[in-house]
Amino acid sequence: MAIATPARRISFREEVENLLHAEEGVSLIRCIQCATCSAACPAVEFMDHTPRELIALINAGMKDEVMASNTFWTCASCYACSEKCPEGIRPADVMYALTRYSLWKDTFNRDWVAPEFSRRFTRTILRTGKSYEPGYAPAFIFEGGFPGVVREMRMAVRLLGKGRLPLLPSRIKRIRNLRAMVARVLPLDGIQ
Amino acid sequence: MSERKRVLIVDDDPDFAAGIRAILDAQYDTAVMHNPEDGWDALQKDHYDLLCLDIMMGRGAEGVMMARKIRKDNVLREMPVLIITGLREQIAFLFPGQAVHPGFVPVDELMEKPVEPELLLQKAAALIAASEARKSR
Repeated sequence: MAIATPARRISFREEVENLLHAEEGVSLIRCIQCATCSAACPAVEFMDHTPRELIALINAGMKDEVMASNTFWTCASCYACSEKCPEGIRPADVMYALTRYSLWKDTFNRDWVAPEFSRRFTRTILRTGKSYEPGYAPAFIFEGGFPGVVREMRMAVRLLGKGRLPLLPSRIKRIRNLRAMVARVLPLDGIQ
Repeated sequence: MSERKRVLIVDDDPDFAAGIRAILDAQYDTAVMHNPEDGWDALQKDHYDLLCLDIMMGRGAEGVMMARKIRKDNVLREMPVLIITGLREQIAFLFPGQAVHPGFVPVDELMEKPVEPELLLQKAAALIAASEARKSR
């Protein structure tokens, strides 16, 4: 009996869709390049390829260009693209898939803010169970130069005035339980 | 001559899966699936003597979930599972210096990428032989 198996090498589109096998949404091949996703995206001006372009590159099999792009690291996860796509494609899920793929394959640019922010955020959550915004400030506050520092400080003062910015970090009760849950799905020898 | 044994490879990286397949093809009938869902379907449809499984696929560590599901399945629980993973490198950015937990999932063997071809063939042969011995007892 012959073994049912895809003998040919799968395309990059299929490679991306395999990352999305458990998600809703339709194949990227359905993209009609209408650019509704790009028009809906609030972060598009910071992307080197618009979401429409990224999907076109994936469908064209241009893996190197896609993996080198900052588009999926720039995604704000607002899901406007997924809501508005007339074909039922979910570009935001594609962005998440490519982000974790680039982490696994170590193809992301370490100079970008987003991966480093992601790393600090994850470690903070695992340490305390909560995000602690002032903890990220020293690493990122100088990214926007002097005007950026002033803008961030103003924002911090306003948040403090409304009681929305904690001065000291706090941790959830039973943080051990959270770590135990994470250890069930991420087989590490001990999360610090 | 005895029938060739059958090996299923489940790995989302087409290049790595093709490499593993090229090594194993010399001695086994191989099949490749690129996500855990298709891998599970293949296991339901056909009999395999060994499963080579990647960890980080789909939404995250889905290889772990698949291995646990196999161990709970009445039919598949006896099938040897060889995990081939680059997990340590894949999570090095988020969790630098972390070792992989030795008892995190009940599999028969764990190999780290990159894989030495000779060693892979040896481990595959040993796992299949041990499984045959268990069955004949």
